[in-house]
Amino acid sequence: MTVTVSPTEFKFVFFDAARIAAVAEEVMGLLGLTDDLVIEVDETTPVSRVILTEGSPLHIKAESGAFEDQRRPRHQSDATAQLALCRVLLRLKDRREGGFAEAPAEGELTLPQVAAWDSYVLGRLGRLGLPVHEQRWRYNFRNRHGFNDGADASFDQLFGSDHLSWGAVSAISEQARAAVTDAKA
Amino acid sequence: MRKFFPVDDLARDERFRTLTVADRIGDPRSTLNLNSDQSRRSSNRLAPSRKDATDAARSLMHGIFVGEIQALEGAGRTCWDFPDVNEGADDAIPFALKLDMARQAWDEARHVEISVKLSGWMGTEIGQFAENTVLFEAACSHDPVLRLAGVNRALEGLAIDVFTTMKEFGNLAGDPFLEFCEDWMLADEVTHVKMGSDWLRRLTETDPERRKKALEFQNVVDKLFSFGGTRSDSDESPIGLARRFRELAGFSDDEIETIAEVSRQALDERRTEASTLRRAAAAESFTKTTA
Repeated sequence: MTVTVSPTEFKFVFFDAARIAAVAEEVMGLLGLTDDLVIEVDETTPVSRVILTEGSPLHIKAESGAFEDQRRPRHQSDATAQLALCRVLLRLKDRREGGFAEAPAEGELTLPQVAAWDSYVLGRLGRLGLPVHEQRWRYNFRNRHGFNDGADASFDQLFGSDHLSWGAVSAISEQARAAVTDAKA
Repeated sequence: MRKFFPVDDLARDERFRTLTVADRIGDPRSTLNLNSDQSRRSSNRLAPSRKDATDAARSLMHGIFVGEIQALEGAGRTCWDFPDVNEGADDAIPFALKLDMARQAWDEARHVEISVKLSGWMGTEIGQFAENTVLFEAACSHDPVLRLAGVNRALEGLAIDVFTTMKEFGNLAGDPFLEFCEDWMLADEVTHVKMGSDWLRRLTETDPERRKKALEFQNVVDKLFSFGGTRSDSDESPIGLARRFRELAGFSDDEIETIAEVSRQALDERRTEASTLRRAAAAESFTKTTA
């Protein structure tokens, strides 16, 4: 497994390509992935989008906010980078390990679908030992599924599960959203 | 007790990290949409439909929280830093103005508590984001009239824009706590701006030159807080200009248009600057690739 990070030197931010590569290697090991990986950082924007494209090697395009220390803008945070990389790589692992064949492509997931899958991913990452702030992800889920007890129960189910299929994840998400629609009707 | 407290000496525990104006202005990155990537959002306005809405709202909420702390510190300083008119000094202020500032400090303290609870609700810890102290810096003027212009009119005016945006965000997301809390704080901010406008007029009634300087200072602060196109009428800005609430707070139509123009200029300047930097970065990358 090799990890390549570009650019090798940053002009807009104070990032260290070697440290990003080291974090990525650690994350790949944690998730049991052995692919070669190319990480391209867009340092011109502070936004934090991360897009993974399947292939050989795997290709990740990350905006600088995804690896940034929120307390020290323009500086790198290994913890933030670790979580950002884990989120997309565990989704990739889900797709590869079965049960997620019918999941939409990365760019075609709806915002509620992303929030539901993230809840499932983040719960497992927390159990793997990564620092995960549950309330942050609960709030994200609520923003996409409603602020009510039903949505919270759905979040708990996703966050606490280890073996769900895409069918189960999307069904929990749709059920939570349907409760909001019913309440409004 | 010490008067005229410098920003560097503000009491903060180890959870907080301060972001200077130089740090903020020195960041060449921009969220402005400067390329043709169709997958990028067409609007930067903070709304639940944004992919990064949750984290953007959390960050703004933390910004509100630290802003409230500084507003509390600023209003408290204005109560104390200037002598009472009975003492006859040049920078003296009426006791009734001190009372208004004390009332504002009470409001701000309540806003700090509300903001802490809202931040927790949104999954944010105190100090999770850097603290920009420019609000307190505007409250360090040695002229009380400049403080009224810079803090009560420019910064509390910005607070009206921010709270309106957050209230709308809560409404659209269906978050009753956020919407309700922002609405209540918004009502207080309208009062603070009105107090600033009223006192500014009264204190400069016979001194047009002083009033002119105060309004110029307000323009400077307004522009500073419009830096990067953060707040304007354009959808490219995360925060909109809350014209109706500004009217209620005592801004005239001309004054609102001036702020809109200042904000528009700041957005244009940022767009040009970011575009130049990105072109330079792309050119350098091309040169390296072809070398």
